[in-house]
Amino acid sequence: MGWVLEMLILGIETSCDETSAALVADGKTVLSSTVAAQLDLLRKYGGVVPEIAARRHTELIGYVIKEALDSAVKTLEDVEAVAVTARQGLIGCLLVGVAAAKSISYARHVPLVGVHHIEGHIFANILSHPEIPLPHVCLTVSGGHTMLLYVREGCRYQLLGTTLDDAAGEAFDKIAKFLGLDFPGGPVIDRLAKQGDREAYHFPRPMIKSRAPDFSFSGLKTSVINAFKERVARGEALPLADIAASFQEAVVEVLVAKTMRAAEAKGVNAVSVTGGVSANSRLREAFREAALRQGVDVYFPNLSLCTDNAAMIAAAGYARMMLGEVSDLRLNVVPTAPLEV
Amino acid sequence: MLVLGIDTSGYANAVGVTDGEKVLADLTFPAKTDSLEQIVANIDDALKCAGLTLEDIGGIGVGLGPGSWTGIRVGVTVGKVLAFSTGKPLAGIPTLEVLAYQAIVEASLVCAVIPTGAGDAVYAACYQLQAGVVGRVGDYFIGSVKDLTGMIKEPVVLAGDTGASYMQTLRDGIIKAGIAVTNITAVPGGAAVARLASERLERGERADVLGLEPLYLKESTARAFVNRYAAKTKGWGGS
Repeated sequence: MGWVLEMLILGIETSCDETSAALVADGKTVLSSTVAAQLDLLRKYGGVVPEIAARRHTELIGYVIKEALDSAVKTLEDVEAVAVTARQGLIGCLLVGVAAAKSISYARHVPLVGVHHIEGHIFANILSHPEIPLPHVCLTVSGGHTMLLYVREGCRYQLLGTTLDDAAGEAFDKIAKFLGLDFPGGPVIDRLAKQGDREAYHFPRPMIKSRAPDFSFSGLKTSVINAFKERVARGEALPLADIAASFQEAVVEVLVAKTMRAAEAKGVNAVSVTGGVSANSRLREAFREAALRQGVDVYFPNLSLCTDNAAMIAAAGYARMMLGEVSDLRLNVVPTAPLEV
Repeated sequence: MLVLGIDTSGYANAVGVTDGEKVLADLTFPAKTDSLEQIVANIDDALKCAGLTLEDIGGIGVGLGPGSWTGIRVGVTVGKVLAFSTGKPLAGIPTLEVLAYQAIVEASLVCAVIPTGAGDAVYAACYQLQAGVVGRVGDYFIGSVKDLTGMIKEPVVLAGDTGASYMQTLRDGIIKAGIAVTNITAVPGGAAVARLASERLERGERADVLGLEPLYLKESTARAFVNRYAAKTKGWGGS
């Protein structure tokens, strides 16, 4: 981009279980990013219960917006546009964010732009590393998604592959639950795995040889559970660190192999890995090693931008507005939406 | 004071604008899950109908439910964020009270009823004019139509979707007990919300803008209520 449109954007994100608002200047400077995670509810219910998540969003949305403004030392008078996640997510949850965003847009007479949640994740990395070249291949991997995309100039995306069953992050959650560990499973498995032997058990690497860039993790999950369920039922103590390390290695190997293969097939020099699972330390290490071997650059978002947040939504919204795309008060919420190609 | 009132708890998005006692706009817009978020556009339409802008408005009222919780959350969010964005005062109004207000006649006891959507369980509450103001008599009720029938001990006006089968069952049950019933069909109206909000704001009662939440009535409330009244010989309107 040769020129910059100065614009302060308020981003709002309520697509799943985190209520978030952020202020981003000129599509690149994060002045504030407030995220209220519903961790206590997730732990209580062992996952996202849509009705409860939606209640929590309604409870928190006003406070989160105010906090984002206060910590950026700005007021609503300074906000020049509002970007909100309107596509991809839980419908009752998305509705709260869009309701709030429309209200601000209407009351303050500022433009509104609806954003696709996955595009937000793509921008989490661009926000962290403005120098990421285009085109590049982006792996978005989280509790809800595992998608391989070819990212081109002008917000154009080609879906290369996706998961046929569980998302990678979901597999982490389910294995953690099976092993009696905390929720969400990713961070605790990442920590435990550091003390474990990643070759202690050889779990299957689903679809690793397949030419199709799609993923599958439910077979891996079943394999881990089957290997230990009798011991769990007997109340035996398990070698948790070794299981965690070996399971994690299987997921990592598949994600890295398929992404690097896609990068080669597309002839790109850059790979972007984003979404909650991109915070995983072993995934980052393995990608760096593979990228070095293949002679490409690999990028990960700043840790605070890996999981769902509104700063990435504001950044994506800015890019869309630069393309002349603006929504109006009739903006619709779409819970399952393909990312425009 | 010019007041904007909205309610998104039912099958329609209701928007109204009042100026003191005068109704300047009272509109309903069809709304299902895929058009709940149109409420802000609906507000703009209603204000334009009344020849007003949001800047002209002196206060905002929002229906708190019960009803469709997905819809109510959208309305409550819009109400509080509009209030936050404009600095205008906010009032939250229970939707049962909105229904009762639309059906109230001088000395009558009004029982407003909203279906829970689960079997024949309903939300209900009784209201009466007390010194010119609509006031709730007794606690909120959640339970079966049969239990509700047992609570009514004096002539009553039923307000709600009177054509629905649960309302007819309720009506028949009350008549069978020898008590007079009048049906008044009512759906939550925006102007009614605005009038009720207007009264509260004029009294200096304001909602906490950031903290406003839907009126989630819990099952436990119903049980306590039934237990409390089981020991009494009189039902509502007499104690």
